Amino acid sequence: MRTYIEALRKEFGSNIIKESVKLNEVYLTVEKEAVIKICNCLYYHFDLPLILIFATDERKKAGNFLLHYVFSVDDKDSFIIIQININENIPQFRSLTHIIPAANWYEREIQDMFGLRPVGHPDPRHLVMFEDWPDGLYPLRKDFDIATKPPRVKGEYVYRRVEGEGVYEIPVGPVHAGVIEPGHFRFSVAGEPIINLEIRHFYTHKGVEKLFENISMDKGVFLAERVSGDNSVAHAVAFCQAIEKLAGIEVPSRAEYIRTILLELERLYNHLGDIAGIATDVAFAAGAAHANKQKEDIMRLNEVVTGSRLLRGMNAIGGVRRDISNKKDSILPALSSLEKDFREFIEMLLETSSVLERIETTGHISNDTAKALHMVGPAGRASGIDRDTRRDHPYAAYSKIDFNVPVRKDGDVYARTRIRSHEVFESISIIEQALAALPAGDIYTRVKDVPDGYAFGYTEAPRGENLYWVMVKDGRIERCKVRDPSFCNWLSIEYAVLDNIVPDFPIINKSLSLSYSGNDL
Amino acid sequence: MLKILEMTLKIGKQTTKYPQEPDTAPVDFRGKPELFPDKCTFCGECAAVCPSRAIDLREDKREMVLTLSYCGCIFCGRCEEVCSSGAIKLTQEYEMASKSKDDLCCIIRRKV
Repeated sequence: MRTYIEALRKEFGSNIIKESVKLNEVYLTVEKEAVIKICNCLYYHFDLPLILIFATDERKKAGNFLLHYVFSVDDKDSFIIIQININENIPQFRSLTHIIPAANWYEREIQDMFGLRPVGHPDPRHLVMFEDWPDGLYPLRKDFDIATKPPRVKGEYVYRRVEGEGVYEIPVGPVHAGVIEPGHFRFSVAGEPIINLEIRHFYTHKGVEKLFENISMDKGVFLAERVSGDNSVAHAVAFCQAIEKLAGIEVPSRAEYIRTILLELERLYNHLGDIAGIATDVAFAAGAAHANKQKEDIMRLNEVVTGSRLLRGMNAIGGVRRDISNKKDSILPALSSLEKDFREFIEMLLETSSVLERIETTGHISNDTAKALHMVGPAGRASGIDRDTRRDHPYAAYSKIDFNVPVRKDGDVYARTRIRSHEVFESISIIEQALAALPAGDIYTRVKDVPDGYAFGYTEAPRGENLYWVMVKDGRIERCKVRDPSFCNWLSIEYAVLDNIVPDFPIINKSLSLSYSGNDL
Repeated sequence: MLKILEMTLKIGKQTTKYPQEPDTAPVDFRGKPELFPDKCTFCGECAAVCPSRAIDLREDKREMVLTLSYCGCIFCGRCEEVCSSGAIKLTQEYEMASKSKDDLCCIIRRKV
């Protein structure tokens, strides 16, 4: 870690204004003008992924806004956070998107929520806000009251147009057939092949980050559980970890193991559901029924273990709220029968030619695209992105558990299905190991006072790297930045569908397993 | 094809007779919270910790009124956790569908 910082000091010493280290988080405040070259150096020279950009409104305290560019140092379990000050009277910053494409949505999000303009952004349209939102109102600024009900105004959103002979558009959504969340997909096709797709989301924007600022920390856990409904544990644990880190408390070892078990149960039912979805979307009804049965078995197990099919209400700041000591006898037999049934099922699924013909080579995402967009989770790993928060930034009990992180290079629907099926077996093994090693003792440490400050919490959600940055002031949440894995992965669908035919879109979409709610916040 | 048939036969029928036959939730399931008016001290702890503000305590015409709305309840069980007199308990009950919102409110009162 030191080498990176020393190299930065040597190269950009005169541009660095302030340095501070908080455990594995190194904060460097730099001159606004130098941020592009420093990010460029971290990204291209040190090969560090840009995992998040977010803003904070510190006008009251410091008289300006702060932008944070977060880079992950995977091999050192650390983070480098580059910060720049932005003056309220000059509310703009130079866009990084043309150098690091992964910056795209973050910058547009900051523009909508804070009113800071990314100068030179290739696509400066609204992202989160809709055209009926009045200009000059920025919800995450501190002087924006949560009770504000702005009037609706007239406005227009302009889509990219593809023109030419025989090119026509297919608008899909935001209301879809089936009980799913809303999102708009605009295809341009020439015959069957898709030549362009533009997605428009944020229909389920709920103001989550603003809500966090207006509730107490213990209630925040329940809000985190509901940011992305089927990734409840990953969100709650990431949120709790951020505050525990800040408060400097040790979560009891037993609670760490229980969290690990819950996180893997969550991964299991998500992956099984995603694989069932693939079977459904290729019209392999018998296979879908089997996979859905297996998913349902795990959800019922969740209910027995935690009292909630979606594993909710288990986490608290300081540990877990309920023990699972008497649940071992329910979990182990369920897992061993799942392992056997799933093995038979997945062999059958991937031997069925009608399935293979639909999923092989479909929805290909190259390693370059995946890297440029900073794809995370199983979808990233299927395109050769060898990252997994559980291994690279160990949390809960993962450092004490043996597991593999499958990575493939083929990057198609088949690869993503294979990664998930491999991870199902890994999750079963992780839960078995955690149960075998489950230490005795408390499950909860009381957190009395949380000092002012900020810290990261992170988990590997079933969809991938999930980040929380929580800033506490006077015992309340001052800012809570949530970065769901789907925020990184959604744009990849625009690339995955190119040259594919429209009927393959549902399978590609399913294989990427993207959350609307977690993305829209 | 034969494999698919074999697997399907082996797994057999999975559907249950619900709702003709009751389907009981597991022991630790957190369902409909039940209020015990005799035990309630109207201290307001439950209302203070409720993350979704499903519990409301207010004074109305010299009466303490505690309202619990099942519409907003997220079944976290914080109320049960903090209630020192055991006046609220989460049950295994999950069949809460109703024709009106009023039916989904449980109100208890006490004279001040």
